[in-house]
Amino acid sequence: MQRSRIGISLAALAAIVLVAGCGSTSSSSSGGSGGGSGGGSDPTVNIGVASTLSGVFGAYGQAGLNGIKLAANQLNASGGLLGKKVRVVTGDDQIDPATGETVTRNMILNDKVVALFGSVSSAVASAQETLSAQYRVPMFFHIANDAVLTHGSSRSYAFEFSPNTDMEPAASALAFAREIGKAPVRIATITPNYNFGLDTVKTFLADLKKDGVSYTVTNQQTPALGATSYTSNLAAILSSNPQYVFVGEYGSDLITLTKQGSGLRLFKKAKVGAMYDYDVLNALGAQAPAGAIAWDRAPFWTVNTPAMQSFVSQYKAAYGTYPNEFAIIGYTAMQGWEQAVRQSKSFDTAKVVAALSGATVPTIRGDITIRSCDHQAEVPEATGVVASTPSSQYGVRLWTNAYTAPPSQVIEPCS
Amino acid sequence: MTLDNDIITFLSAMTEASSLFVAAAGLTLVFGAMRIINLAHGSFYMYGAFLVTAIVGAAGGGRFWLALALAPLAVAGIGTVVELTVLRRVYRRDHLVQLVVTYALFLILADLALRFWGTQARSVAPPSLLSGSVSIGSSSFPVYDLFAIGAAVVVGLALWVLLQHTALGWRIRAAVEDPEMLATSGTNVPLLSTTVLAIGALLAGLAGALASPLQSISPGLDASIIVQAFIVAVIGGLGSVTGAAIGAVIISLFDTAGVLWAHSWEPAFIYLAMIVVLALRPWGLLGAPER
Repeated sequence: MQRSRIGISLAALAAIVLVAGCGSTSSSSSGGSGGGSGGGSDPTVNIGVASTLSGVFGAYGQAGLNGIKLAANQLNASGGLLGKKVRVVTGDDQIDPATGETVTRNMILNDKVVALFGSVSSAVASAQETLSAQYRVPMFFHIANDAVLTHGSSRSYAFEFSPNTDMEPAASALAFAREIGKAPVRIATITPNYNFGLDTVKTFLADLKKDGVSYTVTNQQTPALGATSYTSNLAAILSSNPQYVFVGEYGSDLITLTKQGSGLRLFKKAKVGAMYDYDVLNALGAQAPAGAIAWDRAPFWTVNTPAMQSFVSQYKAAYGTYPNEFAIIGYTAMQGWEQAVRQSKSFDTAKVVAALSGATVPTIRGDITIRSCDHQAEVPEATGVVASTPSSQYGVRLWTNAYTAPPSQVIEPCS
Repeated sequence: MTLDNDIITFLSAMTEASSLFVAAAGLTLVFGAMRIINLAHGSFYMYGAFLVTAIVGAAGGGRFWLALALAPLAVAGIGTVVELTVLRRVYRRDHLVQLVVTYALFLILADLALRFWGTQARSVAPPSLLSGSVSIGSSSFPVYDLFAIGAAVVVGLALWVLLQHTALGWRIRAAVEDPEMLATSGTNVPLLSTTVLAIGALLAGLAGALASPLQSISPGLDASIIVQAFIVAVIGGLGSVTGAAIGAVIISLFDTAGVLWAHSWEPAFIYLAMIVVLALRPWGLLGAPER
């Protein structure tokens, strides 16, 4: 008997939507129980990294985890923290809030983690923040950076070490304003069609106006996150004849957009600005768009300090690649947690939170102050211009004309 | 919009259609001949793309043509192994069982890809012969995109020749149209199934290889392509390669229309296309109605 093709099609479509929603398989679940709660004679203490370790965003979560593990290994090599070895427990949230909640709760209840490091996704991070407040475990965000994470009612135990979604577009607006000057200009935007992308463009345009730039928006495109073709979007943008194009895409989407845009001579017809970080520039190689405006949360090549150089060397030795911003910020977050634990001489949440709130932490990025009003780290955002030749030291087209917008220029005052 | 912009927009849609057609052709061929919806088809596409980066990277000096030849063949080999070890055991099972099994394959192959290639996004430049752009009025269009469109046309013609003018093609069409008759004709059905799955995997790998200079190659490619390929195959009619070609064009044009006229609704346009087509022809444009 011939089966109904409609029924088969509908069942298959349901399965495929499930596939698209679930993405790739999860990595190993969090480690076994028996980890330290911080007290007693247990020689180890557990910290949890509940992040996205697979799928499209797995690269970000993995990099952040690498930075955290490097810090933990260094702590353990020098005798541990308060006499205890730090054990990193990991879990893959698969960029899904429900899964992230399960993974995080499991770490808190079964692995007895004394600190948590959060997700790539701000949606997952928000769920994690609620749990951290419920179970009173300090939470550190090193990738997810929605400003709402430091504005909500659950922020008491959470600390944000990245420039947030108000600060990042403020820095990119400054970079555009320095380039544009005072003459009226035509700007187009293209950004992924979800919360982060839409908010970024909205904030960028508002900040551009505040910076005194007179502009007309000629075209705005909002392709789906993870789109594989941007050619139609870019053709529509180019047909509006913009002088500048703000790109909210990042990571692998930005790589795809850049490759397709190059074919349309986007970078010759307009001045483009986007988050050209190390991973994107490394992947693009000779296709990296020389002259494009770039911004990044923590580009290692703009921080010429012995501490950063040492970290970069150690990271390269450990993982075979140079660190991206998430690895650096993850490491920095560990430095913040370590200082708070040492100062309070305890892993106790209340003491750690009190020690870190308002503190200034010496890190590989320089001294960072954690605001007591919202636990947002006062961190800079770097901007520059993509170079036309590879760096002799790193073999990748990095930046020229680097400018690090200090926190005072990009951070919103405490409300 | 000016005429040259219209041309660029149309060609952009055709580039997208070319990639979708080659990927969907394999999926629809496998379903038509074997009555199995292979969710791991997206994995084959991703493996084709990743293998290109591996071959180009290992060979150095941009051996894209070598990669374009080898990657689909390697993926066909993977598909053959998958068919012999897993899929052959579920042909006579309920379709939902088949979906669960192929979903498991999808997850396993995704995990293996993470172990082989890691989480970092990769990029491959087009070969020097196909780099650069052609001018169309005051606009430009990438040379490689034109190549991708041409390659899809060649693949379509090759499939037509295979299906219409070869003994293997006759058997595949018989499997699509009347599997009971095929079984009584003395055809080695298991061997035919392996061959069809290998061809389907080769097409998926080829689609991924052709697309590799056009986009970033990273984990998650498998999930994104399987949704689109399935929609194209359903619109065209499951089992119809010609339908897959028409479906790919329709989907790409709808997607482009969304970009031009309702960009905040653009992602929904391809699903709108599917609803419209299935409402008018529930078995797809060139599929066969239930007998």
